[in-house]
Amino acid sequence: MKPKLTFALTALVLTLAIGVTAAFAGTTRSSADPGVTSTSILLGTTSPLSGVASAYASVARGADAYFKYVNARGGVNGRKISDTIVDDQYNPQQTVLATRKLVEQDGVFAMFNTLGTEQNLAIRDYLNANKVPQLFAASGATAFGSESAKYPYTIGLQPSYQAEGWVLGKYLARTQGSAKVAVLFQNDDYGKDLLNGLKKGMQRSKARVVAAEPFEATAPDVQSQMAKLRSSGASTLAIFATPKHAIQAYVFANRLNWKPKLTLTNAVASASNIMLLASEGGKNKVVEGSVSIVFLKDPTDPKWKNDAAMKLYRSIMKRYAASANVDDVYHVYGMAAAWTAVEALRKAGKNLTRSGLVKVTSSMNFSGNPFLLPGIGLKTGPGDHFPIEQMVLQRWHKGSWKSFGGIWGYRTA
Amino acid sequence: MSRARWLAPVVAFVALAFLVAVLPSFISAFRAQQLAYVAIYLIALIGLNVLTGYTGQISLGHGAFMAIGGYTTAILIADHGVKDIWTIPIAGILTGVVGFLFGIPALRLSGLYLALATFAIAVSMPAVIKRFEGFTGGGSGINLFGLPDLTASLTPVTVLGRELTFNDWLYYLCWTIALVGYVVAWLLLRGRTGRAFRAVRDSETAAQSSGVSLPKYKTLAFGVSAAYAGVAGSLFAIATTFVNPDTFPIALSILLLVGVVVGGLGSLVGLIAGAVFIQFLPIWSQEVSKSPGAPAIVSGVVLIALMFVLPMGFAGLLARVRTLTKR
Repeated sequence: MKPKLTFALTALVLTLAIGVTAAFAGTTRSSADPGVTSTSILLGTTSPLSGVASAYASVARGADAYFKYVNARGGVNGRKISDTIVDDQYNPQQTVLATRKLVEQDGVFAMFNTLGTEQNLAIRDYLNANKVPQLFAASGATAFGSESAKYPYTIGLQPSYQAEGWVLGKYLARTQGSAKVAVLFQNDDYGKDLLNGLKKGMQRSKARVVAAEPFEATAPDVQSQMAKLRSSGASTLAIFATPKHAIQAYVFANRLNWKPKLTLTNAVASASNIMLLASEGGKNKVVEGSVSIVFLKDPTDPKWKNDAAMKLYRSIMKRYAASANVDDVYHVYGMAAAWTAVEALRKAGKNLTRSGLVKVTSSMNFSGNPFLLPGIGLKTGPGDHFPIEQMVLQRWHKGSWKSFGGIWGYRTA
Repeated sequence: MSRARWLAPVVAFVALAFLVAVLPSFISAFRAQQLAYVAIYLIALIGLNVLTGYTGQISLGHGAFMAIGGYTTAILIADHGVKDIWTIPIAGILTGVVGFLFGIPALRLSGLYLALATFAIAVSMPAVIKRFEGFTGGGSGINLFGLPDLTASLTPVTVLGRELTFNDWLYYLCWTIALVGYVVAWLLLRGRTGRAFRAVRDSETAAQSSGVSLPKYKTLAFGVSAAYAGVAGSLFAIATTFVNPDTFPIALSILLLVGVVVGGLGSLVGLIAGAVFIQFLPIWSQEVSKSPGAPAIVSGVVLIALMFVLPMGFAGLLARVRTLTKR
């Protein structure tokens, strides 16, 4: 009996001991807000470094490279930025755990650039209850900007999906006042926000939505939806989807021999490589002339070949993220977010506190973000936590996007 | 001899309970929260082991049973104002009934076919949840943090004269339920029912000819197993303070099976190691390297290496040490 007993005890103790190791790793600081010393600022980020959405990991990598570049030039107000990136596999439960670890164990000053709509929603109440800034949530969901009264510590960055739809609708109203629009949209907040924005933008014009077909994000294809939309007799097709379904929509429209006068598509679905796939080697005529919106400088756009900011972008990538694909526009998004964070931290001053930083991000008026298209500013105010609300239209022509016209600003109400 | 037989496990269990009780005084609040998840996984693994390890029915769909438990709790707290701890037994019973009912058609399936059928549940569950958006909150899910019926999420709670923060509260809640669940499973498996389960696993024909009713014990195993998963899912929702369809991905079902295999099929003691393994492996592997794809590769390599060294899981290791010490 005795060996059995000692053995059982040892086994149990050993097992639990594994969990206890490094238990005292967390350190506490006595100053007012955690994560800030006279020489450092600690930020935390969750990102899908692995899993189905790992293509978005480039956002965090681009931001990280920019912080390293800023640190090499002395940091912000004498403080170096250290951004801890944790993989959440695009699973909100992992986002919650990782965020709690960053806040409670690592003691970060703020969360920065958390990627994904549900991921940001999952941590929003927690961060606001603990008064930890949720900086520049990487999602276009309207909720992150419009509920600023309830969630003062939360702020978005990119144009909301509603604003994007609105600009496309406004463009239709101005250029094709009598357009009959058929809309294919993903059946969730993302697709619905785009559709609502489009309808709002077309108000006070004769353009109207004659058919709107939803599809599930998990649906294998959108063939039946496209057939229904084609039979609606619409002159314009709007595709509000993620890349996979957007490609299918273009291909099915072509198979159905449907030639809408104009096709609109949302920014997430319209990266150059996706459009090239949808164009079926140039044979798909539905793709040609498509209109979308843009607010970042696209590294593949020849227009920016000699642009100072894009030269800087390439040199930062070369130095701090050498193995990454420089043509991936998500890196530019990450740098644009990091630039904004650096600017906000600079404005928050030498005596850096969480509430001081939130005061800055709630009344931003930053211009000159080099990674955004010229003229696009970052502006927030009471009840408006949407930093970027301006964008530019672009048209797909002979294998690449060409921006056209001036800056479109979204006006709420 | 018969006294020694039950004395060793009882003493070991009391020691474990004591260790669990005093541990939070020595570790950070955050570490306590991580260990609460170990307890949650332990509950799910006990349930899965009843079905897979003891009764021989492979399930790749236990993440879906956890989802049912988790959503039961979330909907009851958020929409009906039920106190979180009361939702736990409701979630367990409801999921147990669902598991029992699933066990009936599953009688016709065995081995790989059953694994595929259960896998199908895990695959379809996120889509089903999104379908009933008005009820489940769709893709955006249900947030619980800060709701008055979620104990200790904003203000500490006093239990037996001790003030507990949210993390410590989660730790004690989850471990108390896990230890009770452990004892219940031990009692269930050591007696008549456990023998019947094992008989079904070892040979269905032999079991039947000795008078063991296959339909009865297979559906019972499904029901019990799902009830454990439901309780685990319920605690998962309470601890995460958020549910959405992606909270219960297919990967969770696979992770649970990994936990049972690493712990040791047909053993309860090893499951603690299995639960520690599936909670901490993703965290450890990220600490090794964060470059693209590296954490997944590290996890995979560790798992393969472990299966080479410990083909019978941690329970097998314990058994080997036991035979060595007996000599």
